[in-house]
Amino acid sequence: MAKVNGANVNGANVNGPNGNGSAVIDLKGVAIGYGAEAPPVLVDVDLSVGRGSFVAIVGPSGVGKSTLLRVVAGLHTARAGAVTIHETKKPGHRPVSLVFQDARLLPWRRVAKNVRFGLEGLPISTAEREERVAAALRLVRLDDYGRRWPYELSGGQRQRVGIARALAVDPDILLMDEPFGALDAITRHSLQDELLRIHRETGKTVLFVTHDLEEAVHLADRIIVLGGSPARIVQDVRNEPGRESGGFREQVEQLRSGIADNYSI
Amino acid sequence: MRQPLKLHSSIALSALGVGAFLLAWEALARSGVVPAGLLPSPSAVPGAFLAEFRSGTWQAMVFASLSHYLSGLALGTVLGITFGTAAATWGVWDAFQAWVVRMLRPIPSIAWIPFAIIWFGVSKSAATFLIALTVFWINYYATYSAVRGVDKDLIELGHAFGQGGLIPRLFKIVLPGALPGILSGVRAGLGQGWMTVVAAELFGISGLGARMSDASGLLATHIVVLYMVTIAALYGVCDFLFMQVQQRVLAWQK
Repeated sequence: MAKVNGANVNGANVNGPNGNGSAVIDLKGVAIGYGAEAPPVLVDVDLSVGRGSFVAIVGPSGVGKSTLLRVVAGLHTARAGAVTIHETKKPGHRPVSLVFQDARLLPWRRVAKNVRFGLEGLPISTAEREERVAAALRLVRLDDYGRRWPYELSGGQRQRVGIARALAVDPDILLMDEPFGALDAITRHSLQDELLRIHRETGKTVLFVTHDLEEAVHLADRIIVLGGSPARIVQDVRNEPGRESGGFREQVEQLRSGIADNYSI
Repeated sequence: MRQPLKLHSSIALSALGVGAFLLAWEALARSGVVPAGLLPSPSAVPGAFLAEFRSGTWQAMVFASLSHYLSGLALGTVLGITFGTAAATWGVWDAFQAWVVRMLRPIPSIAWIPFAIIWFGVSKSAATFLIALTVFWINYYATYSAVRGVDKDLIELGHAFGQGGLIPRLFKIVLPGALPGILSGVRAGLGQGWMTVVAAELFGISGLGARMSDASGLLATHIVVLYMVTIAALYGVCDFLFMQVQQRVLAWQK
């Protein structure tokens, strides 16, 4: 049964990290803006994400969801605040990796070489590298597709390759930026279920940006709602993932009304 | 809308077109409307070829021109791609060289012939220099715009997966991404290069162009036509071979 832990318009984080206890991401007072002059679009983000948890970030477009993800990935600098990644100190991995909405495969690399992309430059043997590529392709059920060119794949398959590439670097945190947003409904549902299975099997921490509330409620064990102008965290909700869970509809409606209350244009 | 033609009928029509063109030319040359020395008949060309081939002149001229062409082409292509990439990726360098490029670019390479001869003499180096110059600008601009056009999202992808440093970014993202545009430039240079070969050799550097110039001085116009056809054939072979390579290298494109 899904339960609402609380909404806090001040942006203070009412939940401690969930998952198995220790936090893997700590955001303190993070603000995001574009350009030095423009006012910030997102402010006061305090967020602590527990290792192994699946956190969805939802909110209307333009609140800086994707940019928040890029701040965690180190691709965008926060206007203010502190971002801490509690990285596992082990060789041959990257602390964070990213799955993009458009899959973003390199068209001139075959599938296996796309998956290998993030492993290049890591201090691992060629044999281990190839083994990790094969394992990542197995995990997304594309074992036999290593020799294909990206243009030979369907949209869903391309996105699986994007997920395999992100998992191959054995990240502490898997950042996903509306990864299924461009897919048709049937493919989207099957990939959502695949992702739940992969999350169970790998125990990776997932930070998942989406504008689709049903997707968030289906996948995440915690849902962060951004809203307002400038946006901040308006709800921080514990959730029981799964479309079949008893409170699915109520949870979706609860989030929807929460967003409507805080949504001003 | 045009109806697409079947392959064999399109080949047949092309052959028919070439045949009709040669026939009309032959008829015009034999009709006596044009004085014989001014317009050679196409049927005189095979005989001219045999004579030139037996004496070894044809082979020597083809070899000389090919060696000018290939060395100029290689030099101009490598430098054009290198400088085009540098200007497109390094803003400081781009700004530094922008006005020099604007001043030098509109000067046709033929206009450099006096300097080529002063600097290098009537020599292979002079021809190489002129051909390289022509090919350089084509590759410079093709590479510049191809590199500038590389998808910024792929650059971000590189940063996200630890490939954001100058060397991996250049060799794993930028150059492969720009490759289709760069190769279009190389191919355009392949064609323009032949034009410069002839122009440079018309000034006396030994090769196809010089032979044409000599023959025209003697009003041996059938020999001029022979070398025109030779140039067209050499260009056709180069372009065909390059396209085969290009298709292999770009097999990842649908």
